Amino acid sequence: MGTREILSLQFGHYSNFIGTHWWNTQETSFEYNATSPAEINHDILFREGSTRSGQVTFTPRLLLVDLKGSLRTLPERGTLYESPPKSSEIDTNWKPSATETKINEPEQKNVFQEDLENSQITDFSKRCYNLESDVEVWSDFLYTRFHPRTVNIIKEYEHENKDSQFDVFPLGTAMWRSEQFEEDFSDKIRNYIEECDNFQGFHITLDASNAFAGLASSCIEYVRDEYERKSVLAFPVIPSSYSDYAYVTDEEKHQSLIKDSIRVLNLALCFNSLNEHSSLFLPLCTSYNGWRQPGPMRNFYHLVYNYQLPYHTSAILASALDTITLKYRLRSTDFHLSDLCADLNIFGRKAAATSLCLPFSFNKGSDFIDCLDNWDGPLSQSISPNCIIGTDKLMQTFTLRGIPEDRLKRPLQNAGKQKDMPAYRCNSVNEMLSLYLSCNYFISATNVTTVTKGLSVKTPYPSIFDPFVGTDGNINNTPRPEHLKVESVPTLAGIHSGACVGDMIESLHTEANKIKVPRFHQFVNAGLESDEFSECLHKLFDLRECYVESDYI
Amino acid sequence: MAAISLLNPKAEVARAAQALAVNISAAKGIQDVMKSNLGPKGTVKMLVSGAGDIKITKDGNVLLHEMQIQHPTASLIARASTAQDDMTGDGTTSTVLVIGELLKQADIYVAEGLHPRVITEGFDKARVKTLEILDKIKIPIEINRQNLLDVARTSLRTKVHERLADVLTDVCVDAVLAIRQEGKPVDLHMVELMEMQHKTATDTQLIKGLVLDHGSRHPDMPKRLTNAYILTCNISMEYEKSEVNSGFFYKTAEEREKLVAAERQFIEDRVKKVVALKKKLCDGTDKSFVVINQKGIDPMSLDMLAKEGIMALRRAKRRNMERLALACGGVAMNHLDDLHESHLGFAGLVYEHVLGENKYTFVEECKVPQSVTILMKGPNKHTLTQIKDAVRDGLRAINNAVEDKALTPGAGAFEVTAYKELMAFKDTVKGKSRLGIAAYAEALLVIPKVLATNSGFDAQDTIVKLQEESRLSPEPVGLDLTSGEPIIPKDAGIFDNYVVKKQIINSCSVIASNLLLVDEIMRAGMSSLKG
Ligand SMILES: Nc1ncnc2c1ncn2[C@@H]1O[C@H](COP(=O)(O)OP(=O)(O)O)[C@@H](O)[C@H]1O
Ligand SMILES: [Mg+2]
Repeated sequence: MGTREILSLQFGHYSNFIGTHWWNTQETSFEYNATSPAEINHDILFREGSTRSGQVTFTPRLLLVDLKGSLRTLPERGTLYESPPKSSEIDTNWKPSATETKINEPEQKNVFQEDLENSQITDFSKRCYNLESDVEVWSDFLYTRFHPRTVNIIKEYEHENKDSQFDVFPLGTAMWRSEQFEEDFSDKIRNYIEECDNFQGFHITLDASNAFAGLASSCIEYVRDEYERKSVLAFPVIPSSYSDYAYVTDEEKHQSLIKDSIRVLNLALCFNSLNEHSSLFLPLCTSYNGWRQPGPMRNFYHLVYNYQLPYHTSAILASALDTITLKYRLRSTDFHLSDLCADLNIFGRKAAATSLCLPFSFNKGSDFIDCLDNWDGPLSQSISPNCIIGTDKLMQTFTLRGIPEDRLKRPLQNAGKQKDMPAYRCNSVNEMLSLYLSCNYFISATNVTTVTKGLSVKTPYPSIFDPFVGTDGNINNTPRPEHLKVESVPTLAGIHSGACVGDMIESLHTEANKIKVPRFHQFVNAGLESDEFSECLHKLFDLRECYVESDYI
Repeated sequence: MAAISLLNPKAEVARAAQALAVNISAAKGIQDVMKSNLGPKGTVKMLVSGAGDIKITKDGNVLLHEMQIQHPTASLIARASTAQDDMTGDGTTSTVLVIGELLKQADIYVAEGLHPRVITEGFDKARVKTLEILDKIKIPIEINRQNLLDVARTSLRTKVHERLADVLTDVCVDAVLAIRQEGKPVDLHMVELMEMQHKTATDTQLIKGLVLDHGSRHPDMPKRLTNAYILTCNISMEYEKSEVNSGFFYKTAEEREKLVAAERQFIEDRVKKVVALKKKLCDGTDKSFVVINQKGIDPMSLDMLAKEGIMALRRAKRRNMERLALACGGVAMNHLDDLHESHLGFAGLVYEHVLGENKYTFVEECKVPQSVTILMKGPNKHTLTQIKDAVRDGLRAINNAVEDKALTPGAGAFEVTAYKELMAFKDTVKGKSRLGIAAYAEALLVIPKVLATNSGFDAQDTIVKLQEESRLSPEPVGLDLTSGEPIIPKDAGIFDNYVVKKQIINSCSVIASNLLLVDEIMRAGMSSLKG
C-alpha cells in the first residue's frame, strides 16, 4: 500500500511554536545516506515537490495560520521556492515616477538563522546559540523550510498588539467566514489533498484559549463536511504562562483576571466544538491546571526547563506529539489514524488524555528488564490539564522509542537474577513493555508500539536535559562534558481514555459555569448568540457523562 | 477618581472639545496619506516588510489596513472604507478624502463657535439633496460592450498602467458578457480567477471555458483529448479506511478484512459504471471521455480509468461543479445510478499544462460557455496579487453598471455639478444649518482638487476653470488630467459607477457626523456606563 498521507494544520502562535519543534525534530532525524529504509515513513507528514528550476524539495504537508507581525525575519512564502525580490527590480505596473516605496527596517536575524543561511556551517551542535533569549517568535528557531503555500497571515489583527486583539472565540469563527479566508484556505487544503493517493486525515494543532480556537473549529467543521470520511485528530494546546501574569499594578492584575475568564470561556467553546466535529482531541498543557491560571509546572526527571518560555514548553509538547503519532507513521504498520481514533473515541469519548516520559530514564549499560524492574511509580505523567491518569479501566496506547532490542536482557548464560523474573521470557521490547503494563493497569486495554530510534533533540531543540543525560540520551553516573549536546533521547508517550478524562472535562465545566457570560460583551459583540454558551455547557456536561464508569470495559 | 472628573460638567466639555480636535486632526492625517493615490495619475505605494515581503497597492482600503494606523478615529474611517469596498468594490480613496474634508470644513465653523450638531444637520440635508442631484445626473445606459468597456477602463486605469488596464478591460467585460443571462442577476463566482506564475501581466487572458489547478494523477492517462464528454461528479472513487471500518480493539482481523473487501468491491463497481458508459458512447467514434470528480480517486480506480483512455481529475473545487455544468453543459452527479449521456457535458478540447510542480487542465471549446476563466499571469506572486485585486474590482465595476443600468460622469464632473446645485439649494434653506450645507458642498470639491494636484495642476485655478465652464455647459464638466482643461467626461468615456457615488454620499456624511458629535457620543457612552 502507498503512503497514507496526513495534512497538518496549525492555528495560532503557541501551536506554531509546537509545530516548529515538531518539524525540526523530524528533520534533524533524517538520515540522508542510510543503507536501509527508515523505520518512520516521512512521506506521511512531508511531501516531495519541485521548484520551478526543477530542484527537488521535501517540505511539510502543512498549513499554518498566525497574525500579522508574527513572522519577524521569515518571508510569508518562505525562501525555498523563490527569494524575495529586491525592491529596486520590481515592476509595479505603474509609472515609476508615481511610485512611492515604503521599506520597513529589515528585521535582524539571530545567529542561528544566520548560520542556516551559511552553507559553510553544517554541524550546528558545535556552535553556540542563545536561543533562550533570542527566540521571540517561532520562526526564530525554525530549521525546516516551508512550501510557499504553508504560511497564512491574518492581516486584520496584529501579533501582540493590545489594540487589535484576536482574543475571543467568535472572532475566529467570523474570520473563517470572511469570504477571502475560507476560500483561500480551503483551496490550499484541497491543493494538498489532491496530490495524495491515500489521504487518511488531519493533524490539527490549535491555540485553545484565544480566537484561533474559533478559527480552527470552523475549519474542522468545514473539513469534516468536505472530506467526510477522513479522520481529524486535534491537539488543543494551552500555554503554561501568559504575558499578562507579569502584572505590577492593581489595574493590571484586574485585567489579567478578566483575561483568565475570557480564556476559560474560549476553552469551553473550543472543547465543545472539538467534541462535535473532531474524531478525537487531546488537550495539552505542560502545567497542571490549564484553565484559569495554568498552575504549577509539571516536572520530569532529568529535565530542567523554564515554564515561562514557550520555546521550552513547546519542545516538550512537540516531543509528545511526535512520539504518540508514531503508531501510524511507521513503514512497517498498517495501522491508520482512523484506527487510533476508532479505538479511543468509542461511546462518544472524543477527548483523551496524553502522557509523557521525557527522557525515558534508561541507565547507561543497563538492560530494559532491570530498568522496568527498578521503576518506581507510573511510567509516564499526564500532560493534559487537570487530569490525573489512573491505573484502571483505561483504553490506552503507549509508544516507546529509543530502546535498542539488544539491550532487552542479558543472554541466558549470564542472566543472573534476570532469569527469575517473569519478564525474562519476553523476546522484544514491545512484548516486555506490554507485559509490564498489563501487570500495572487493571481492566485496561493497552496497545504498545516500539521504535528503535530515539527522539532527535539536536539543535535547535533546547538544552533542557540535566548533565546526567548522555549524548545518546542514556542516564550516566557522571555529568556529560560541558561542550557536548544531547542528540537523541529515549521517550515514552501515551494516549489514555478513561474516567480521568471525564474529570478533566468536569473541572472545565465547573470553571466555565462560574463565569457570568453577559459581562463579557466581547463575545456577544463578536457574534456569540446568548443561548449558545449555555448550550455549550450542556454539551460539555454530556461529554463528561460519556466517561462515567459502567460495565463497558 | 476618574469617575469624578468625568462627571464634572466643565471637564466634560473640555474633554469633548479635545476629542473633537483629535478626531479632526486624525482624519486630516489619514487624508494626507491617501491623497496622492487618487485617480489615474495618483501614486502607487509599494510596501516592503521587515522580512522582505512586498505589497503593491493603490487601493485606499488596502493601504489603511496595511499601514496599521492604530487610532480609534482611523479605525472608524477604515471601517467606512471597508464597507465601501464590500458593498461596491470601489471608491475607497474618495471615501477617506471626503470624510477628511467634511471634518476640515466643519472645523472652520466650529472654530467660529458653531455647534457641531448644527453642522451635522446641514450635512444631512445636503446628503439628501446630493442623492437627488446624483439621480438627475446619472446617465441611463444600455448594457452593451461599449458602455461596459468605458466604465471598466476608467476604473482599471486607476489601478494598473494603461497597457495592462486595457488588456484587463477587454478580459473583464467579455467575461461578464459571457456569463450574463438575460433577466437574471450576474453571479460573478461563475468567473473563475486562476493564477499562473508565468510570463508577464499583459499575457493575462480570458479562457472561454474552465481552467482547473490540477491534472490527472496517472502516468498513462491522456494529456490531451478532443471531442470530450465531461462527467462532472461528487462521488468517492477511493477506498477509504474510515473510522467506521477501523479499530483494533473492537474488531477481529477477520471482521476488518470483510469490511475492507466489501468497501473495495463497492468502489470498483462505481468505476465500472463509468467505464461502461464511456465504452458505449465513445468506442468506435472520435469522441473521448473525461471525469472531473469533487471527491477522491485512488490509484486502483485511476488505473481502471487509464486503461480505458479516460482522463480523470480528482478533488475538484466544490464551486467548479457548478461552473463545469454552466461551461460545458451536463449536470453534476451525486450518484451513478441510471447514468446517461444527457448527464454529460461536452468540450471540444481538454488538455493539461505543467508548470514546475503545478498542473493545470484547460477545458475549452465549449459550445455556449456560461462560466469562464480569467487566467492571470505574472512573473511573481505580488504581481499576480495586484492583477487579481484589479480584476476583482474591474468585474465589480462592470457588474455594478449592469445592475444600476446607469453610469455617472467621472473626472470630478459629478462633484462640480453637485457643488453648484448645493450652493443654490443652500440659499433656500433657513437657519444656520445652511452653513453645514455649504461646508458639505465645499468638501465634495476635494475630489476634483486632488485629481488636479495629482496631475500637476493648481487646485484653485482648476476649480475656477471648471466652475466657469460648468455655468456655460449643459453637460456636466470634468477635468482633463493631461491638459488641465475642462472636458465633457461623457464624450471622453470617463464614467464612474452610480452605486459607488451613492454609497460615498451616504457613508461619508454619517461617519463625519459621528466624528463631529463625539461629545454627544461620549455622553451617551457615559450614561450607559452609569446606568
Ligand atoms: N481618466 C480620468 N480622468 C479624470 N478623472 C478620472 C479618470 N479616471 C478616473 N478618474 C476619477 O478618479 C477618481 C477615482 O480614483 P481612484 O484612484 O479609483 O479612487 P477611489 O478609490 O476613490 O475609487 C474618480 O473620481 C474618477 O472620476
Ligand atoms: Mg477606484
